Amino acid sequence: MHIPDAFIPIWQGAIYWIIALIFIALALRWAKNELNEEKLPLVAVLAAAIFAIQSFNLPVSMGTSGHLVGGALVAIILGSPFAAVFILTMVLIVQAVIFGDGGIVTLGANIINMGVIGGFVGFYTFKGLMAGTKSMPVSAFVAAWLACVIPALAASVELFLAGMFPLVEGMIAMGTYHALIGVIEGIITVAAIYLIMKARPDLVDQGVYSVKGAAPV
Amino acid sequence: MIEELFDIERFANRDSFIHRLDARVKIIVTFAAIVAMVAVPYSTLVFSVGAVFFIFFIVLWALSRLSPWIYIKRALVIISLWGIVILFQIFIKNPYYSEYHTIASLPFGISIYAESVQFAFILFTKFIITVSFVILLSSTTRIQDLLDGGRRLGLPADFALALGMMIRYLFVFGYMYRKIVQTLESKAFDPFDRNLPYRYRMRQIGYTIGTMFIRSYEQGERTYTAMLCRGYGRSSHLYIKKKPLRTGEWAFLFACFAFVVLTPVMAFVGYLHMP
Repeated sequence: MHIPDAFIPIWQGAIYWIIALIFIALALRWAKNELNEEKLPLVAVLAAAIFAIQSFNLPVSMGTSGHLVGGALVAIILGSPFAAVFILTMVLIVQAVIFGDGGIVTLGANIINMGVIGGFVGFYTFKGLMAGTKSMPVSAFVAAWLACVIPALAASVELFLAGMFPLVEGMIAMGTYHALIGVIEGIITVAAIYLIMKARPDLVDQGVYSVKGAAPV
Repeated sequence: MIEELFDIERFANRDSFIHRLDARVKIIVTFAAIVAMVAVPYSTLVFSVGAVFFIFFIVLWALSRLSPWIYIKRALVIISLWGIVILFQIFIKNPYYSEYHTIASLPFGISIYAESVQFAFILFTKFIITVSFVILLSSTTRIQDLLDGGRRLGLPADFALALGMMIRYLFVFGYMYRKIVQTLESKAFDPFDRNLPYRYRMRQIGYTIGTMFIRSYEQGERTYTAMLCRGYGRSSHLYIKKKPLRTGEWAFLFACFAFVVLTPVMAFVGYLHMP
């Protein structure tokens, strides 16, 4: 899902950068207001952990493998989509500048896909489903699955606009592959949230336990 | 990817003319080369600009006194991620050509087009050049120096602080990742082992990731407390010592920047053409 530099024309990359910068500024404001600034270290350390967590290769099917993106996990645990934007931005910068995974011109597009779309889709899907189903596993699984699939579809639209792929075929290919990876993302996200709730319930945002009067899981 | 981190930092700690350059110089030259390469339209101009840029890269790599194998190994890892997508281009008609000529017809109505093959080469040239400069930057600049350089170039203070702390803990989690993987291996647990139930494998990995999350959170809390003890507060920022560029660094920066900007311009006006 990390679009590399050559794959998007420079003017499109500039547009994605401008959009991404708006969300980065909002995420910085969120960090200052909601984290009381002093808790920035906590988020920074979490970003390093997400980077490490992304290194675990997980079996998908037919010999393929994938790894966790973690946008939904971060947004759910910290209780804000901006947490995902903030943390994924830092992770993507390190991946692009140090490892060459992703790109410099395409960094804006990658932040939009994985940080912004992944974070917002993951968080609000979870919140909405928690209000309806009152079930953490169902809500977290669907939220994480969508937070994996929708950014992949967004990436395929961006690659279509860049002239790399036909729209329908690109969406089918990216969507199918990430629908499989999304299942793993969903299972792992549920298991990770479950463990954190058992071991350190104080760390988890209250929204995980209760949304609009829902009973604790 | 995190396992590569230790090797990259080891390469970056070596000594050479390129290693000693200020990080700002290397960041600007790298980003300028990438932007210049991406800015060249998807046309055969990419080949001439790409050839000149690759020679430029080879000169810089030679000056860094790093083994070519380091570059080849790192490049192959990145190419393996997107090489198949580039190869796939040979079957696709894209909007950059108005006419397509079939050079091979395959079963299921799949065709290979001459223009699509050319486009795949154009894409690969752009891809390998941009990736090469990133490899050069990270193999010759320590991560902390990259951050300091970014801060001196205007990276927002709040972001630099968080990014700096993240980078510091990348290595802690790199070791933690190694330990966890070794522990799982010592217990003969392989997530790709089909003899184990899939659900069991997923649960174990989920718990492992959850454990890592908790340990990182607790590490964050300890770090926060330690920072408070040292006077960390709302107005704290990373201290960046003023460091003006030396005359030689200014000259190198100016020469490289001019070269990187003028090469595509010269190709565009027709002074640079591959036979």
